[in-house]
Amino acid sequence: MRIRRLANGLAVTFLALGLAAAPASAATLAKAKPGRIMSTNMCNDLLLLMLVPKERISSITYLAHDAVAMLMPGADTGVRINHGTAEEVVRERPDLILASPWSTPALRRLGAKVGAPVAEIDAANSFADIRRITRQIGALVGEPARAEALIAGMDRTLAELAATHPRRTVRVVAWSGPGSVPGKGTLTDEIIRIAGGENIAAKYDDGRYSSFGMEELLRARPDALMHGEDRYDGPSLRDSAVAHPVMRKAFAGRQISYPASLYTCGLPQSASAARDLRAALGKLPAGGVTW
Amino acid sequence: MVIRRRWLWLGILLLIVAVLLSLGTGRVWLDPAILLRSIVEPEPSLAWLILSELRLPRTLLGILVGATLGLSGAVLQGLLRNPLAEPGLLGVSAGAALGAVIAIYFGLAASFALATPLFGIGGAIFAATLTLIVGRGGTLMMILAGAAVSGLMAAGLSLALNFAPNPYAAYEITTWLLGTLSDRDWNQLALAAPFILAGWACLALTARDLDALTLGEAQAESLGVNLRRVRLLALAGTAMSVGAATAATGAVGFIGLVAPHLVRPFVGHQPSRVLLPSALFGAILLVFADVATRVIPTSTEVKLGVLTSLAGTPFFFWLVLRLKRLSP
Amino acid sequence: MTILQAHDLKVERGGRRIVDTVSLRLEGGAFVAIIGPNGAGKSTLMSALAGLLIADAGHVTLDGVALTAIGNRTLAQLRAYLPQNPRAEWPISVERLIALGLTPQLPAFGGLPAAFVRRIDTLLAQFDLISHRDQPATTLSGGELARAMLARALVSDPALLLADEPLAGLDPRHALDGVARLRALADGGKLVIASIHELTLAARYATHVAVLREGRLIAFGPTAQTLTSGLVRDTFDVDACVTAAGSPLAIVDFVAKPAQPWSAASSSGSDSTPRS
Repeated sequence: MRIRRLANGLAVTFLALGLAAAPASAATLAKAKPGRIMSTNMCNDLLLLMLVPKERISSITYLAHDAVAMLMPGADTGVRINHGTAEEVVRERPDLILASPWSTPALRRLGAKVGAPVAEIDAANSFADIRRITRQIGALVGEPARAEALIAGMDRTLAELAATHPRRTVRVVAWSGPGSVPGKGTLTDEIIRIAGGENIAAKYDDGRYSSFGMEELLRARPDALMHGEDRYDGPSLRDSAVAHPVMRKAFAGRQISYPASLYTCGLPQSASAARDLRAALGKLPAGGVTW
Repeated sequence: MVIRRRWLWLGILLLIVAVLLSLGTGRVWLDPAILLRSIVEPEPSLAWLILSELRLPRTLLGILVGATLGLSGAVLQGLLRNPLAEPGLLGVSAGAALGAVIAIYFGLAASFALATPLFGIGGAIFAATLTLIVGRGGTLMMILAGAAVSGLMAAGLSLALNFAPNPYAAYEITTWLLGTLSDRDWNQLALAAPFILAGWACLALTARDLDALTLGEAQAESLGVNLRRVRLLALAGTAMSVGAATAATGAVGFIGLVAPHLVRPFVGHQPSRVLLPSALFGAILLVFADVATRVIPTSTEVKLGVLTSLAGTPFFFWLVLRLKRLSP
Repeated sequence: MTILQAHDLKVERGGRRIVDTVSLRLEGGAFVAIIGPNGAGKSTLMSALAGLLIADAGHVTLDGVALTAIGNRTLAQLRAYLPQNPRAEWPISVERLIALGLTPQLPAFGGLPAAFVRRIDTLLAQFDLISHRDQPATTLSGGELARAMLARALVSDPALLLADEPLAGLDPRHALDGVARLRALADGGKLVIASIHELTLAARYATHVAVLREGRLIAFGPTAQTLTSGLVRDTFDVDACVTAAGSPLAIVDFVAKPAQPWSAASSSGSDSTPRS
């Protein structure tokens, strides 16, 4: 969630620039493998680093570093970073721009000017989305085989998880403060389900992201709280919300932290996040919260 | 005298009502009977947790912050003899917010719990000193200086936002600045309370001198009032109490403006007699406003600062129009 | 008896000498009118004599003790000071306004002690303000406010009263009433110092006049001997006719210099032109 907002913020820079131009056609891309790929979205950054050698990457966003350090340490060493500014697009003269759907109109126009096709990559809200997006980027960058290999690895993990069933269903919620909590139709929700948990936020039908005050959270009585861990070093108020004495007291030994980037960005590794979550859920003390 | 007493009792009664409402309402409805039982036999239960860990610190903090705003508003209005003076208009709140934001987002608060209130107070002192120095020479000057200092502090906030190590901070700072009492805990109360109480003591010491200032600075001075001392006490008291309060809740506006005006006619306009009732009604207003944020059915809680601004701005307009009518 | 003395007072502001080497010895029982053209330094001299302004050189003593050596509170009980056009900033009652004069004696918290209430009652009666007791001070007329402020200044029974242009803005009846009250105070033994532009009133009621011009004290003495046509001419640059100074029938009349156009003459002495 946090990451998605950042991507949005980045997109705003481009929006200021102008109108739409022609999107990248598959024909132009098939001719040769693009060699100066620019990514302006953090989730695309991660997939790009997994699919192509560094030499073919023109730049990734400045936001990617922490997630990269957590998922594939060192993979971004020496890769140039961008802040999603127009100047950077003009300077780098990329031959492919991977963007998020929010940034398109302005970026497309700018891409057309410098002769780079702009590919819109959706955000993934399910494992099906992850397959589709990984294939899409694989095709765009000319590495379909690598994409299939990553997807196959993900599907193996998912099949293992489907073959066994956890002893009990644990009621959890991904709560990192009273802001927005991922509900039904989000990747987080699917990860929780596959891990054998029940996302209590999925019950509330007020949108895909709902808000939970502490009082509501206490009333809902989840068996565990999940807390998204990102590598941003900077302190934030949301951390202090999770550290509220009543949260520590009520959910002592029942707080699970998860890698936020694997839940917000649909990556082949998101399957292993589900596997890790199942293990963490299995370690929870038996019974519900006691108060 | 009797009338004054009656207003005091009415105020206390209203405060009790506000406190009961604040303890009884929330995003989660709890049966008052269950709440009552949880008080009588405190044991870990949903009601007890919510009451003791969430609603009680929230309510007490609301009282402290509201009283602080009311009291400092009354003192500043008395000191400057300006009905528009309040901590917000003089840039004190913005300064406190800047200090607190720096403490929170640059990690000082995480490593040292007192950092937030101390930085809040530091910011408030800086802003107030600047306003008092630049704004010497009349009320209008003071208000203009306050606007300038508020602008400077807002610029500082933007700068802090720019350089905050956490890229998510921009969204959070903006939200935090709206001011809220939700999800406060006892620690925050314990950190803020000593500074707030010390600030109150300073502010209370100005009472008699504020009365003399009714005659203007020259006459007050001839009556033995040490103007430097009064200014210093008012400044230090406002900075300490408002600084610590803002650090705990974010910026909450207009209470300091409204509360003194509300009580002034009932105490004969004498500045020293405005102080206590103004603190009392500041607390009442703030706790009621906080109850309203929880009762208004919206998907997310309305921020307290947003509500007080929405309710306070029309009052500000009314005040300006009335002053226009009174002035020749 | 009260003795107020200024020794070689000098006050400078922005490189300009506002009060230039003024020495004075004033005694209780005197009503001293300070007169002089606009900008002569009257208000500054009054502030310095009241101890509200520290002189750049020289000093002021009250009964032989330097004002700076007397504590704020003690000094506040010994002398009262009324600035030009004093006004109440909040609509407090007249009774409260007068009570403010007791600030130095007042306990830090709580209501008025009974003795003070009686004292205020006396002053309300003495200044014809009984019917205005509970009226907000901001709604008083100019004359009423002037009386209330005078009552405020006198409620603590000071030995020394300094009033900066107490008659400014008052109609003839209230101006006469005000100046008569000041004289009565002096007759009662107090030392009263007031800057006054209405020279006829000064000539009739003041026991002494002190004349300032460009910061210098150019004349000081009993009204009858000091306030002469020549002095007024030298001080204000207008021809004047002073008759019977120091008596109840005194008149100070001005004559525009025939050589000067009317506008120039009036602008140089507009404040000194008798209003009636």
